[in-house]
Amino acid sequence: MAEKRRSGVGAAVADSGKAGKAESDEELLAQAGVGLLLRDALLKLVEARSEDPIGFLAEHFSNLVSEAESGPGGGAGAEDGPKQEEQSSAEEQQQLSRALWHLSLAHHSQRSAFNNNIRVAYDLLTLCGSSRSGSGGVQGRLYTEMLQCLCSEGGLSGTTAAPLLRRIRCHDYEAVPYELFRQGVLTCAAFADYIRKSQCLYAAVASRPERPAERALCRAVLGTLEEALDTSHGADSARFLEASAKISPAKLARAMAEVHVTSKLQEGPTMDAREFEDAAAALFIARVRVVS
Amino acid sequence: MTGNPVNCTVKSPVALQIGDVVSDSFHPGVYITDIVLGEPVNIQEISFKNYYTAYLTVRVLKKEVGSEEAPAKWVTCLRNHCLMANPHTEEGSQDYFSLYRQQMLMQPDNVTTVRLILRQPSSVWLNFNLEEIKIYPVMNEDSERDVPSWLSSITPAEEPLDMNGLPDPDAVSSSIQQMWALTEIMQSSQSSASIGRFDVDGCYDINLLSYT
Repeated sequence: MAEKRRSGVGAAVADSGKAGKAESDEELLAQAGVGLLLRDALLKLVEARSEDPIGFLAEHFSNLVSEAESGPGGGAGAEDGPKQEEQSSAEEQQQLSRALWHLSLAHHSQRSAFNNNIRVAYDLLTLCGSSRSGSGGVQGRLYTEMLQCLCSEGGLSGTTAAPLLRRIRCHDYEAVPYELFRQGVLTCAAFADYIRKSQCLYAAVASRPERPAERALCRAVLGTLEEALDTSHGADSARFLEASAKISPAKLARAMAEVHVTSKLQEGPTMDAREFEDAAAALFIARVRVVS
Repeated sequence: MTGNPVNCTVKSPVALQIGDVVSDSFHPGVYITDIVLGEPVNIQEISFKNYYTAYLTVRVLKKEVGSEEAPAKWVTCLRNHCLMANPHTEEGSQDYFSLYRQQMLMQPDNVTTVRLILRQPSSVWLNFNLEEIKIYPVMNEDSERDVPSWLSSITPAEEPLDMNGLPDPDAVSSSIQQMWALTEIMQSSQSSASIGRFDVDGCYDINLLSYT
């Protein structure tokens, strides 16, 4: 009996010891805010659905670390002039790459996630260089650079993206407000997808992969797209119905058959992929509003 | 089908009585109600709610078309139309009625005034009347709501096309639809947000700037 009581006491002591450790574990986690951290990381992972989850999580946490470092560190920068310039330009590049990473997390079709990421990127870039520019928005130079990076990341070559950028770029000294920023990012994302689709379209029109497509067919196809884009009057729903009637498979079949009949020769004039892409891009860019 | 009723003024009923209206205490058996129309109307339908009227006679004042000098004529359209099968009982006493053009003896065209002659021979009912009188004009067959041209050309009756050697229209159409949708997305996201440039053709020369 005495042994039992002693072992009971010993067990009680051991229990209280373990309980003490468990309490401090929970306290430790709660203090560090780890629960919140992990929850945010998992939410971002689910939103982004990247193929490399471990790499994604690694980038996410390294971004957090550098943000935490630069936050308190960026304010206290009372050093010599040229050194400060160097530092701030390196900082800028870092902020820019971080903003681009945020923008790449969600596709523009996931509207709310995409808008959230734009907000985060905008805030990042507004803070960057805040000692110089006012709080009116993102610096024009940074904005233009970011748009260029977006276009190249989306697979667009410099020549394809140039006419678009000419329309929506901003001068170096201007401050870009949030609404313009969002429009610019969405336009670049939509344009990248558009060019990819136009390449698929060219592949579909040129039924034989090794030969370029017939010029007349390309013209007819692009003509129907232009006609559909030109339906501008009426309420939205009526406009959509009318435009979709113009690009239905039956309409396209008829348009292509009409054109094909006239050129019975096998070796008619052709249009190569580059020209087709440029013509399709022109249709899109013509409808982009110029920044003013 | 019936469209909207025409604006009309219904005058208060006038009783037909022998003798003095004020001193005699007999209730009248005949009331006459006139309805004046703003402009000449081709009547399609007259609808009303009955209140214990037994028999109804409808006369219209038709205006002659073309000749302004010829006086308008009174024409009987309905004679002793029975509203209540038995004047002493309740049946049909508070029903809704519609009188159509086809029931009338003469074509009610170019009508300026409609006269309703109400008769109630029974002594059971103290008062009788017609309420909620509405007159509907003839509607035109061709209304302005037309089918848009693109809708009528969706399903043409044609022989099948020879698609030999042509690209697959389904694949082409699907790519074009996506391209169209992307352009629409871009266009709909454009607002009038501006960055506030005030230069004239890229130039900020002070002579070109204005106060507005």
